[in-house]
Amino acid sequence: MWIYEKKLQYPAKVGRANLKMAKYLITQYGGPDGELSAALRYLNQRYSMPTNVTKGILTDIGTEELAHLEIIATLVYKLVKDASVAELKAAGLGSHYADHDRALFYVDAEGNPWTAAYIQAKGDPVADLIEDLAAEKKAEATYQWLIDLTDDPDLKDTLNYLRVREIVHFQRFGEALDLVQEHQAAKKIF
Amino acid sequence: MNEIPQVILRLGQAYVPFQVYVNRWEPMKALMMGTIFPELYRPYYSEEHRRG
Amino acid sequence: MLREQLELLNNIKAVEFTALELNLYLDTHPTDQRAIMDYNASVQEWERLRAIYVEKYGPLLPTDIVEGSSWRWIEGPWPWEIDY
Repeated sequence: MWIYEKKLQYPAKVGRANLKMAKYLITQYGGPDGELSAALRYLNQRYSMPTNVTKGILTDIGTEELAHLEIIATLVYKLVKDASVAELKAAGLGSHYADHDRALFYVDAEGNPWTAAYIQAKGDPVADLIEDLAAEKKAEATYQWLIDLTDDPDLKDTLNYLRVREIVHFQRFGEALDLVQEHQAAKKIF
Repeated sequence: MNEIPQVILRLGQAYVPFQVYVNRWEPMKALMMGTIFPELYRPYYSEEHRRG
Repeated sequence: MLREQLELLNNIKAVEFTALELNLYLDTHPTDQRAIMDYNASVQEWERLRAIYVEKYGPLLPTDIVEGSSWRWIEGPWPWEIDY
């Protein structure tokens, strides 16, 4: 089960970043390579994993991704909260406003809703872990592009933190993959 | 320095080398960097630096 | 939020982050004794800092029991509202 700790994992700041960034950042909230996809993918895959290591790492990284989801939400919240409707329209957030006012929602940068089609659980541990490696690399790349899109040093700093987390997750999934492959090879010895 | 252990690498499989814990950054520095492990840190050089 | 409160909160984040990183490392290196020792030390430091924070400023977990005549868990500011 889950317990919520009432604090952000990282002190997230938006500095004087452009409101347009909210439109781009939302892809890490509800987009294909975002934190919701990561959290739901890992927390779901863990049920069909064969070893304690993989159940553990998927649970723990999946849980951390929920904390990252909260950081993205915080960045978007801070960017839009004091914006006028005219400013939101000018920043390309008019459509979002029509559907949601300043509420957050699980969509990509174009407003397409999140879908379970972004994730998979094949039931084969190797396939699932390799998907997780790819997911972490794609998330890392997305944070790179978001860092490119902003000039603001505070926002770059938080995005860089999230980027580095993906590198660490990749390493852990890689180690879990190695252990699962060893486990499978050992089972074949009669 | 992480050594690559002597193992049999099979064809048709992917491998990521195992990390060996040596040092870690102190807590506040680690938080700011995004990891406690210096060997896992990789900086990102933005678009302008990458081109050409 | 008061500067003193924010500073303490940031220290808690830092120590907790160290514990989390060792937690993830231990998930794939479950027999690394040194990592286990470092993990335990981090958790102890985290509990020490948390106790100070919770006593002064209110709960971080719903199970943190604090003084007060009302249910302090729902009091603001919430994490996304704080100016870090």
